[in-house]
Amino acid sequence: MTRKLFATLPAIVLGALIAVAPQTFAYVCKVEDGMKMACHYTAQAALGIGVVIALLGVIGLFVEPKVRAGLNIAVVLNALLVIAVPTVLIGVCKGAMMHCHMVTLPTLIVLGVLAVIFAAIAVRMDLTGAKTAGR
Amino acid sequence: MPHITLGSLPFENLKRKPFRTAALVIVVTMLTVAFYGGALLATNLKAGLNSMQERMGADLMVVPQNTGTKAEALLTSGSSSTFYFTNDIEQAVAKADGVSQVTAQTYISSLAAACCDEKVQIIGFDPATDFVIEPWITSQYERTLKDGEVVAGANINVSANGTIKLYNHEFPVAAQLASTGTSLDNSVFVNESTIPAVVSYSAKTGHAAIPAEYADKAISAVLVKTGDADTKTVAANIADTVKADGVTGLGYVYPGGVTASTKASLDAIIGYAGLFLAVFWIMGLIVLLAVFASSMNERKREFAAYRIMGATRGMLVGVIVRESATVGLIGGLIGIGSASLAILPFNTLIGARLQLPYLQSGAFTVLALIAAGLAFAVATGLIASVAAAVRLSAPETYLTLREGE
Repeated sequence: MTRKLFATLPAIVLGALIAVAPQTFAYVCKVEDGMKMACHYTAQAALGIGVVIALLGVIGLFVEPKVRAGLNIAVVLNALLVIAVPTVLIGVCKGAMMHCHMVTLPTLIVLGVLAVIFAAIAVRMDLTGAKTAGR
Repeated sequence: MPHITLGSLPFENLKRKPFRTAALVIVVTMLTVAFYGGALLATNLKAGLNSMQERMGADLMVVPQNTGTKAEALLTSGSSSTFYFTNDIEQAVAKADGVSQVTAQTYISSLAAACCDEKVQIIGFDPATDFVIEPWITSQYERTLKDGEVVAGANINVSANGTIKLYNHEFPVAAQLASTGTSLDNSVFVNESTIPAVVSYSAKTGHAAIPAEYADKAISAVLVKTGDADTKTVAANIADTVKADGVTGLGYVYPGGVTASTKASLDAIIGYAGLFLAVFWIMGLIVLLAVFASSMNERKREFAAYRIMGATRGMLVGVIVRESATVGLIGGLIGIGSASLAILPFNTLIGARLQLPYLQSGAFTVLALIAAGLAFAVATGLIASVAAAVRLSAPETYLTLREGE
């Protein structure tokens, strides 16, 4: 049970934070006069990817360890996407003092890195666990 | 059953007792976060202070009466403001005894407009006489700044087409400067002859920065180099000289004093943090010592068994030392990783919140701190196990075995 929680809970929590952060505490620039900055689209992308990561975590609660390892590999790839969206793929506003540059960008990077680390550990745990069980 | 050698024994021991290992790793992680995080923050603050000292080339700033605080804030915290003299004071200041060099600057705070148009400090300077900003700009932009062009500080949001919108007018950006960790990063620089144009653009938006009648001659501060003369005496001389011209009530800012007071408050912060860190480290070390000692007590039978199997005392000490070094290394890596994640990506936010000059150190310094942090973590682990190792290596196998009964 502990292993199952360790392999799924971080994805659920971090996925939810990735989805919610750019809409709340790590907000991006407001859309004014219909002008949408890059950070607006980054927030939209993070919302989608975050929900997917959280759902992968929830599904992981109901499957066997080997399948869960596969789900966590998907979490790793999605988390890498979370890092790539504000840095390479879409970006944020250029001004270093803009809230999206100063807060949203590092928040998404940190959440993405944490999701990668926890999911990678979970993959290893589930695979070695499955091997031991199979012996 | 995996084959266990003497080399892999410490790691197997750590694996077989996951909760004990986790508890030890957590303590080392916390100590490393405090040590490495504190050292990184202190280094960045010191780098910011050095950068600030380099950027403050003037000995004295003559500003309008009651604007001294605004001028100081402009030097340290980066809060932008507009103030100006209503008379031509530069020539009068230049005449005073003890003044070796003067230059005038104009400060205008732009409007905080729509999204992504921030409130920035516009600084007008005279490239021919300036000795404060010009050397810094010249180090990165060799050509002369043309009328109507701006040089942007590191934090300024320059649009993709190389312009910046201020007072609804798009100014071409000639160059963007490197980060200094000071208020200069949030400023744009124009030459003195561009100031009237800036004022007219501001008037068009309905928020005239300076009344039109002063636009051509408005200066906010006269920056003075005093050479060897005492700055307070020079300030008194300036007051006397301008009095003769009928001007009274000037404000004086001593950038050297501002730097000194910032340095004093910074030193106090670093001093307290260092003290806190030392106390925290001693407490952590005591916890580690206690945990190691109690686990050694529990493991007396285990060590006695190793001895019966032919292990020498040296081998046992080696096992303990490698266990503790591994705990230190794992804790150190996690601690350094966590502190780096919390500090490095958020450096702009930390600088803005601290309201102190804060400049992210270069990769070499950070790598050196990481190495020091790891060495610190491993050393902490080793120190914690030394007492246990010495005690363990002393008594005879038989007695050790009996003690464990």
